[in-house]
Amino acid sequence: MKIIKNALKEGRTVLSEHESKSVLAYYQIPVSREILVDNTETLMEALQEIGYPAVLKGCSSEISHKTEKGLIYLDIRNENEARNAFDKITKDIGGLKGSVLVQEMIKGQRELVIGLTRDPQFGPCVMFGLGGIFTEILKDISFRLAPLEKRDALEMMQDIKAHKILDAIRGMEPADKDMLVDILIKVGKIGLENEEVKEIDINPVILSGSKPVAADALIILEKPNV
Amino acid sequence: MDHVMINMRLLFNPGSVAVIGASDNMSKLGFHVMKSLTNGKFPGKIIPINPGSNTVMGIDAYPSIKDYKGEIDLAIVVLPAKLVPDIFKECVDKGVKGSVLITAGFKEIDDPSGAHLHIETANIVNGAGIPVIGPNTFGMINLNKNLNASFTPEFSNLRKGNICLVSQSGGISHLLGFMAMGLNMGFSKIIGLGNRLNIDFDRMIDYLMSDSDTKVITLYIEGIDNVRGLIDSARKNRGRKPIIAYKTGKGKVGNQASMSHTGSMAGRHELYRSAFDQAGILSIDNTETLLDTAKAMSACPLPEGPCIAVLSGQAGPSMAACDLLESEGLKIDSFTGKTQEKINELLPPLALRTNPVDMGPAWYDSDAIQEIIKAAMNDENINGIIFLMMFASANVDALKGIRETLIKWQQKKPVISCILSPPAIWDEEIKELEENRAIVNYPTPERAAMAMANLWKYVLIK
Repeated sequence: MKIIKNALKEGRTVLSEHESKSVLAYYQIPVSREILVDNTETLMEALQEIGYPAVLKGCSSEISHKTEKGLIYLDIRNENEARNAFDKITKDIGGLKGSVLVQEMIKGQRELVIGLTRDPQFGPCVMFGLGGIFTEILKDISFRLAPLEKRDALEMMQDIKAHKILDAIRGMEPADKDMLVDILIKVGKIGLENEEVKEIDINPVILSGSKPVAADALIILEKPNV
Repeated sequence: MDHVMINMRLLFNPGSVAVIGASDNMSKLGFHVMKSLTNGKFPGKIIPINPGSNTVMGIDAYPSIKDYKGEIDLAIVVLPAKLVPDIFKECVDKGVKGSVLITAGFKEIDDPSGAHLHIETANIVNGAGIPVIGPNTFGMINLNKNLNASFTPEFSNLRKGNICLVSQSGGISHLLGFMAMGLNMGFSKIIGLGNRLNIDFDRMIDYLMSDSDTKVITLYIEGIDNVRGLIDSARKNRGRKPIIAYKTGKGKVGNQASMSHTGSMAGRHELYRSAFDQAGILSIDNTETLLDTAKAMSACPLPEGPCIAVLSGQAGPSMAACDLLESEGLKIDSFTGKTQEKINELLPPLALRTNPVDMGPAWYDSDAIQEIIKAAMNDENINGIIFLMMFASANVDALKGIRETLIKWQQKKPVISCILSPPAIWDEEIKELEENRAIVNYPTPERAAMAMANLWKYVLIK
């Protein structure tokens, strides 16, 4: 893929959030609608397009943990808030190469993680688990080797302790398991078809109603062995 | 079937076996291998190879395999590593079909010369399509053919059966073999893969799938290079025969230097476990449960559902069994009305008559116990039976009373038991019941319950 080749050519092994999501979108994995802007004029155009509430994030391949660095502004409701957030982000990014990502605010209380890691012996392995802040705290996750069959994808969802989060709970719709199966299979496919992809984190995958949407993503590359 | 697979059949079923390095000297492994073959009553031809003596253990010996005129199917090699390439060249020339290479000193040693020797040796046999078990192995045993090609003659004391153990460790093979003797378990083969010159887990699984002597495959794994091969082989054969695996080496955690959460949480052990699930291999995490599960799989059909009847001579043991069954996802549901009526006729309302059934009030009445077992066996809601009975002086004849019912049933649904007496009193009767496929017995109610739970777990993943 061009995005991957270009990044490696530039000597980068990290794709920015926007680049990472472009890779996912290429594989028809649902991602949040978003536009990259670098001045207030394009910011206003983007907000018109995306609508409110919106999310503004610092976006750079040099930043991989945006939350810790205070580069995410959620629930932006008007132009004023957007301008303020834009100014703060551009100031904080400072000298780093990057711009600001204007994103639709995905609403949903359930956050999942879907990932990929390339193991020297097992090859590309797909991960599924609880997302957001719970990923690291609870480590409620499961793995399957790529390529995944539908059965594998269904079983790995059932394997996590909190699998009931996918059911109809507390008035929420049950998760669209067919869509999740499809995403898991496709993440495996990205690993199989792109040797340079070392790791993928899609965290969180937010359940918007029943539909999973990739709200944030990170792809790590490695130079293929020649 | 490829050439190597055809030769594998002869490796495990040879008409003639040469022991290269056979010896009358007890301090040599070649002595113990000869003893294994002779004590194990190998019915084919045994050909000791030793340039220094005319006979070994009273059998005519030859200076080299070239000097023996007949055919040699299997060559067991116990000579020092540096001699192995030349020996294998002779084997190729002679048309030997397979080898067990007990010798150590290949890629497992620190010195890089071991790895070179490994490759050199592999190239010789690979060209000729000769399968090699080893190097650095205790050997292998094919019990159904009275072939003990190992340096431990006592493996021949194992009962013949349908469980095969494929192990990466000689120590664990000995441990499991000796434990199995105490559990009265029957084996088809025990195979020490050692350092896998050209036969790894994947080829072994392929072979065992078509081995009519083997019904259950157990694996002991420490860590292998070609793990994808093992998984692919198991996936390809999924559902054909149960594969149960015990993998040690949990310690290694994920890649801490990883920049993503996924990378840092993907420990090697988690990946093994996931891959086993994905390939329909049942993961077990200790030696005891590995054998217990294999024992149940070897005699029992797989349960068609998760509902278990717990029938106990005493209430306490049934509580222990029920706790474990339920925590492992099995169900202890109600009997059908018909079964319950029957049990109510047989037991006074002094104890729990619904599932689990406390047969305490009938403990001296084996007719009643027999009828309760029959009713549960034939209950359409019930997919398996856990039967628990502790000895008491007053019920010393209980097993005699229920023997016929149990034997007649022949495990049409799994019947797993914990029948226990002080040493010797019921031992022979229990053994006879096991050998007649009436029960699979365990020393504790928890182990009996766990064996049942693992039968059901396998149904879910296969």
